[in-house]
Formats: sequence, C-alpha cells, structure tokens
Amino acid sequence: MRVEVRNLSFSYDYRPVLRNVSLNLENGDFLVVVGNNGSGKSTLVKCILGINRVPEKKIFLDGMEINEFRRRLRIGYVPQKLDDFNYEFPITVNEIMHVSRYSRMRDEDKLALFDRMGILELQNENINTLSGGQLQRVFIARAMVNNPDLLILDEPTAGIDAESEAKFYRIVNDLNDEGVTVILISHNLKPGRSNFNRIMRLTDGRARTIAASEYFERGVD
Amino acid sequence: MEIDSLILMGFIRALIERQFMQFALITGILVGLLAPVIGSFVVIKRLSLIADTLSHFSLAGLSIGLFLLNILRLPIGDPLYVGMTFAVIGALLIEALRSYYKNYKEISMPIVISLGTALSALFISLAGGFNTEIYNYLFGSILTVGRNFVFIMAVTTFVILLLIAIFYKRIVIISFDERYARLLGIRVGVFQFFSTIILGLVVSLSIETVGVLLVGSLMIIPVAAAMKIGNSFKTTLLIAILFSEVSVILGLWLSYSFGFPSGATIVLFNILILLMVIIIKKIFSSPHAEEKVAMEAEVRTE
Ligand SMILES: Nc1ncnc2c1ncn2[C@@H]1O[C@H](COP(=O)(O)OP(=O)(O)O)[C@@H](O)[C@H]1O
Ligand SMILES: [Mg+2]
Repeated sequence: MRVEVRNLSFSYDYRPVLRNVSLNLENGDFLVVVGNNGSGKSTLVKCILGINRVPEKKIFLDGMEINEFRRRLRIGYVPQKLDDFNYEFPITVNEIMHVSRYSRMRDEDKLALFDRMGILELQNENINTLSGGQLQRVFIARAMVNNPDLLILDEPTAGIDAESEAKFYRIVNDLNDEGVTVILISHNLKPGRSNFNRIMRLTDGRARTIAASEYFERGVD
Repeated sequence: MEIDSLILMGFIRALIERQFMQFALITGILVGLLAPVIGSFVVIKRLSLIADTLSHFSLAGLSIGLFLLNILRLPIGDPLYVGMTFAVIGALLIEALRSYYKNYKEISMPIVISLGTALSALFISLAGGFNTEIYNYLFGSILTVGRNFVFIMAVTTFVILLLIAIFYKRIVIISFDERYARLLGIRVGVFQFFSTIILGLVVSLSIETVGVLLVGSLMIIPVAAAMKIGNSFKTTLLIAILFSEVSVILGLWLSYSFGFPSGATIVLFNILILLMVIIIKKIFSSPHAEEKVAMEAEVRTE
C-alpha cells in the first residue's frame, strides 16, 4: 500500500505533538520510525490508522483521502502495548483468529500463516497460558489474518526474548519481501536485523528522514 | 434415603401435574441459559457490576409501575413493562456516563444505583409501602410466573440467541478488544447500543426469577466459576451454562420441596459450585506451578 502524509500537524487538547510531518511510502517500502519516548511515534501511526482523527487532505492511503478510506482490513496493526486486550477470560489462539478474520482466506493459507509465525502448535491453547514472545507472535498473526498490504508495528519487540525477536524480524522481512509495506516503530534497532529502506527520526514532533548509517553511528538518541 | 427419593418423586410429580411448576421450570431453564451467556460478555468487558446496577434501576421502574397501577389506577398492565423500560433507560444512562467520565468509567455504576434505589424507596412508599409484590421483586418469585411471562421469556431468549449467533464474531472481538474491532471497521457504537438494550431486557426479565438483589449473581457467578476451568471461549460458555442450569434445577427442587425462597436457593447453588471449583483447582493445581509463582514473587520483591 502507498502511504502519503502531507505536512501533518497533530495536537492532543491543544498540545502539539506532531509538527509538519511528511512521509511518502511506495508499495513494499519498509520504514523504521525512531525517536525518544514521547516524541510522537505512536501518535503518527495512530493518525495513519484513523484512531486519531486528522484534518482533511493530510493523509492518503493508496491515493485515497484517509477519512474516505473504508478498506480498513487492508491494514494490519500490532499496538505498542497489548493492554487493550481483555485478558484472563479463556479464549484460544484459533478463536481469536476466527473472530478477527473478515476477509476470505482459505484454511490452508491460515494454517500456513500460523506455521510461519510459529504458532501452529499453539492453535488450541488458551492465550492466557502463552509466554510474552508467543503472545506477540499471535498478535502479529492476527494483524496478518486479513491479508493486509500495510503492516504497522509499534515497538513489537519490547520485552520479548532475543530468540523471539530474531524470529520476529525474519517474519517481517519475509512479508516485506512479498510486497507488504511495513512501518515499524522501534526503540532498539540493531544493524542487519530488518531489511528497512527508510528511517524517520522524530524529535519533538518534527520528522527527519536519515540514512541508516547515520542512525547507527549516533546510537539510539 | 427414602425421604430423599420421596421428595424427588414429589418434585417430579409436581412437574408433571402442576402447571405452575412447569412454567417455573421453563422460565428457570431459559433464564439459566440466557443469564450466563450475557454474563460472559459482561465479565469479559469488566462490567460485572452492571447487572446489579440495572436491576436496582429496574426496581425503580417496577415501583413506579406499582404506584401508577395501585394508587393512580392507571391501566398500565403489568409493572414488569415499566421495569423493563427502566432497565433499558438505566443501561443507556450508564453508557452516557461512561463516555462522560472517560477515565473513571466505573463512577457511572454508583450514580445509577443510587438514583435507582432512591426512586424505588420513594415510589414503594408512595405505592403504599412494603408488601408481597415488593418482596417478590426483591427476592424473586419464579413459582408464581404466569403463561404470559413464559411466552415473553421464550421469545426474548430465542431472539437474543439468534442475534448472538448471527453477529458472533463481531460481538466476541468487540468484547475482548474493542479498539481492534474499531480498526477492523466494525461499527462498535451500534453494537454497543443494542447490547446495552439487550442487557437491560435480560436483567429485568431475570428479576422475576431471583429478584433484584440476586440478578447479578445469576449472570456473573456461573461465569466466574467456568472461566477458571474453561480452556477456550466456547467451552467456558458451555460450562457456565451447565453450572447455571444445574443450579436452577437443584434450586427449584429444594425451593419447591422445603418452601425455601427460590432465588436464594438457586444463587446459593451457584456459589456452592464456585466454591467447589476454587477448592478443586487448589487441590489439583500442580505444586510445581505454585513454587514457580512463589519464586517469581520473590524475584520481584528483591
Ligand atoms: N491520547 C492521548 N491524549 C493526550 N496526550 C497523549 C495521548 N497519547 C499520547 N499523548 C502524549 O503525546 C506525546 C507523544 O506520545 P506518543 O506518540 O505516544 O510518543 P512515542 O510513541 O514516541 O513514545 C506524549 O507526550 C504523550 O504523553
Ligand atoms: Mg509509542
């Protein structure tokens, strides 16, 4: 999916968070967004997702003005914290996928998705018994279950072990290779992990596109 | 042993011969099915107090109904209809307050409970004070339900279960993850509005069975027990229904045989099942798991 943001400014209750942010992603681009805590990374993706309402003619998805964009299933999203989910009540991985799936996907494709996410054998497990890394993969699979062509991941590897993290990057890279546009917000980006081709750094709501080399030289801040 | 079987035989004979017992059993089974199904969604959304809130608000409607009927002699039919209307109004009021106090949503409950209780006290006194009707509203009167009520109950149950079956996926994802449901393009507001109305209806109809003070337990307790043993959403739902129906039938039996209040007996069976679940879970949970929890707790305190 193509994503275009034109001079977007956004405030929560008059407090400006994004200032004049622009962005242009083509099909199959892989953008990493970096920046300090509170710099507006999550706010930016929430605007692209339509969670935050933005003025007209600021964001375009595949050329369509976002307030007019109805094909929500084409966007997959893994939120920063998975706290929005009501845990503790029993529900299996399969049941979550079932109630999240509104596009046609053949059962073989669903199983293939589970397989590549490494959750095939977790299908009938109650999600409340899963580890953090397993849960993360379940939610990424959920984001993929409607075959999106834009995948938005908000600090998906925070708090999961190194092995799960490596597995996660392999999956996202593969999806991107297949043409899915990816926006990945990351705090601890390491060289060679993901095959991103763009980096945006947010500083106090201002965006600057930087080269990967510059980012790694200067470290996280 | 002999006495027991006599009592059981008496209960079964009453079920076969007495129409009021048949009505009571059908009503009980329908409520026993509907209450935990609706209750599950309520529990998932962490709204467990909503049933009690609505039942108190519904009582205000019932007392106003009694007042209109007995004092003003208005031909309003059954106060039940006023009670149902109030339950729905109460539900909408809660929704409104919840969006008004976005970060303190639970404030809506005590506000609506207080209004309901105050109005009830006022109109009970205006309608001539405490009497059997009020007692039945408070504690339930399943043994006195009429044909008309059984009919309303059956239709409501059928329609609600049908709606749940049709919109199953949407209802489940909204309950577990409202924000994600919105992202999927589901019209959450519309669903919320209708489930609020349905909740109000179920609460006010359940009042007939166990009374205002115990409606909440009927919806929540079987679910509370089931969620500790179920492994999937569907099995949890089925277990909750099973617990609820067992309680209804045992409760009716004891209530008929010994003249116990039916609502109280049904709810006590529900609680008994919950206790058994908790105890059995404790006994069978592997000592290993508890060690692990203890160790993690230690690590945290360090
Ligand atoms: N819903 C909200 N209402 C008000 N302020 C918010 C909201 N969400 C985030 N903020 C504020 O906006 C700023 C940017 O937040 P966020 O986009 O989450 O930053 P990041 O994801 O880069 O850490 C922060 O100061 C945060 O406190
Ligand atoms: Mg963030």
